[in-house]
Amino acid sequence: MAESVCRSLRDGALEGELAPTLTIKDSLASPFGFNVFSHILVQLSSQIVAGKSQSQGIMIVALSRSPSSYIDLLKTSGVDVESSKKWIHILDCYTDPLGWKDKRRKSGDITDPSNQILSSYKTVKDVNKLFSVICDLGRGLVGESKSRFCVAIDSLSELLRHSSVQSVASLLSNLRSHEQISCIFGLLHSDLHEERAVAVVEYTSSMVASVDPFHHSVDGQGSYLGNSSRQNLTKGKFNVRCKRRNGRVRVTCEEFRVEPSGISFAPVSSVDGAAVAVAGLIPKVQFNLQLSEKERVDRSRVVLPFEHQGNGKPIQIYDGRRSLEDSKNEATPISGGKKEDSGRGEIIYYRDSDDEMLDSDEDPDDDLDI
Amino acid sequence: MATTRTRVSSFAPNLSSVKSSQHLGLKNGPNGATFISSGISDLDKILGGGFTLGSLVMIMEDAEAPHHMLLLRNFMSQGLLHRQPLLYSSPSKDPRGFLGTLPSPGSSKDDISREPSHEKDLRIAWQYKKYFSVPQLNINTNNGGQHDYCNDLDLRKPLERHFITSNNVDCVSIQNSQNLDVLKDRCAEFLAQFSRNEGGSSSAGRIAIQSFCSPQCKYSDMEWHMLSFIRSLKGMARSSNVVVVVTFPPSLLSPSCSKRLQHMADTLLSVRAIPDEDKELAKLLTGYQDMVGLLNVHKVARLNTQVPVILEATTFSIKLQKRKYLVFECLNQAPVDGSGGSSYGNYDGCSRSTKAVSLDF
Repeated sequence: MAESVCRSLRDGALEGELAPTLTIKDSLASPFGFNVFSHILVQLSSQIVAGKSQSQGIMIVALSRSPSSYIDLLKTSGVDVESSKKWIHILDCYTDPLGWKDKRRKSGDITDPSNQILSSYKTVKDVNKLFSVICDLGRGLVGESKSRFCVAIDSLSELLRHSSVQSVASLLSNLRSHEQISCIFGLLHSDLHEERAVAVVEYTSSMVASVDPFHHSVDGQGSYLGNSSRQNLTKGKFNVRCKRRNGRVRVTCEEFRVEPSGISFAPVSSVDGAAVAVAGLIPKVQFNLQLSEKERVDRSRVVLPFEHQGNGKPIQIYDGRRSLEDSKNEATPISGGKKEDSGRGEIIYYRDSDDEMLDSDEDPDDDLDI
Repeated sequence: MATTRTRVSSFAPNLSSVKSSQHLGLKNGPNGATFISSGISDLDKILGGGFTLGSLVMIMEDAEAPHHMLLLRNFMSQGLLHRQPLLYSSPSKDPRGFLGTLPSPGSSKDDISREPSHEKDLRIAWQYKKYFSVPQLNINTNNGGQHDYCNDLDLRKPLERHFITSNNVDCVSIQNSQNLDVLKDRCAEFLAQFSRNEGGSSSAGRIAIQSFCSPQCKYSDMEWHMLSFIRSLKGMARSSNVVVVVTFPPSLLSPSCSKRLQHMADTLLSVRAIPDEDKELAKLLTGYQDMVGLLNVHKVARLNTQVPVILEATTFSIKLQKRKYLVFECLNQAPVDGSGGSSYGNYDGCSRSTKAVSLDF
């Protein structure tokens, strides 16, 4: 759920553990990843300003949108960007990521002294340097002490465009294990990359939130062609998979709706297709091993055939003939019935097939000495 | 050869029982195999004794759960308790830090109590009861001997420092190496100490390689390089008294590479995550509350023999008993109607979420 995701980001990392990392995954069928990203950014920022979160600052690595758009976003959402206590820093990798404008001059990263919030970064391909810049600027933001900051990466897709999967994975894992980083979240457009790249990013993150269309189209094409296109323009499903500490995965699903003012989340309205995740996990068994409660009670009440013997009475071994007790209780005497004379050891048996009940000596239930 | 014919019968087993009693933690098994404990008594039972010396054990990780770490921790800790040298490699900067999380043997006060044996409540409708006082049920109660071979490791209690700081443990970080040659050399050095050919030391060693193709490693896209490393490692391990445990995440490799790695393993296990608070699963499985994951045994090592191992069950639930001890239990499940769903064999350890598909006609 979006609430719990924001909460885990707000709570941040425990001592000695890796920082929680959220990957917001979207695709062309439901391209609202940035709405979710900005929603989370605004939530987290307001909590940082209010002092309710573990992190005391936030670093935005802006790759796909200009830094000014972020400042505007935060201002319109009512978050105080110009506050006296510096809590936000934006790394501008959008204006000139590859340093083309400065090709002639040999210049590194320029930190514009007038603008305290912004610094530009010109070598996106060098991921190691990006990591150290993030760490340095972040430390500058929150100070050397135990305080932490969080990192928002505008678009992991942009990073993956500029550098290899391995380097992005190592950046993420280095960020996660940095002792001053409280949480990380980033946006990824899953259909822009190979499956392996997406799998790697999911592997490195602790929460994966995917923004899916309301109805999956059958043919895999973008559902703007489908019948439910109008619905998909503003609504969709928000599926989150959180890796919990005990090794289980919390899977939640919500509906979201995009409005001009922002994005809102609501619990799933219709029971639209049950989760089938379970089916593949455990092997299929064809017989019922479980007992219902009533069955369990009944089972405990059953007296098994030879159980009642030995309680003071001599234990009789059934050897194919009816026991003495049964023959005594027999209402209708059967002529020529079997008789076991235990005293003298004589067995007198007359079998008269006319009077005999059919299959009486072949009835397998005869030995159920109940 | 006449010189060796000092035995009475030619069928006397050629076991040198003296040898194994000198070295704690070794157990002889069929076909000349020697076992060492995995650190988890349930797993030893499932595998028929433990990990075979000279074999390569591969554990397929699940991208969503850290259960392979539990297995590794028990494996490494058991080795250190038996004074078996250990080589540990991981993709983190400081592998030594992980050693601090190794479990210690639990106090003997709380022995692992299996689920109250249903055998006690088993009522037998057996007419020959009178010839026997009580139907004897085979409950294995030789716990004394069991503890020497496999300890009940308490995951909440860290291993004592002196086990870790001894010269027994060597750690390698593969985070920054360009390729696997460094690791290969270290493994070769380590394995040379335990070579069987020289007939020298008959002690055992353990190698644990964690998250072998972790994406942050620089060689992680060099698939043939990784395959050839594992192959040479397996070859070296075969002729030495070492068990090599390698964990890797199959979802991050190409399918062919993942399959090749799986084929190379002598013993292949996989761990999987389970969804949390899933009502469907809670209905299907008893004991769902205590489960943290699932273990699948795909292959069991059988060196020196062509007879395969056929297990009664291949899927086990991973539970933490009293939050301390790792146990594996057979699944007690209600059946699903066999009509729907994919067959078990198709589930390849991928951790993709299965999306709900509603077909709109």
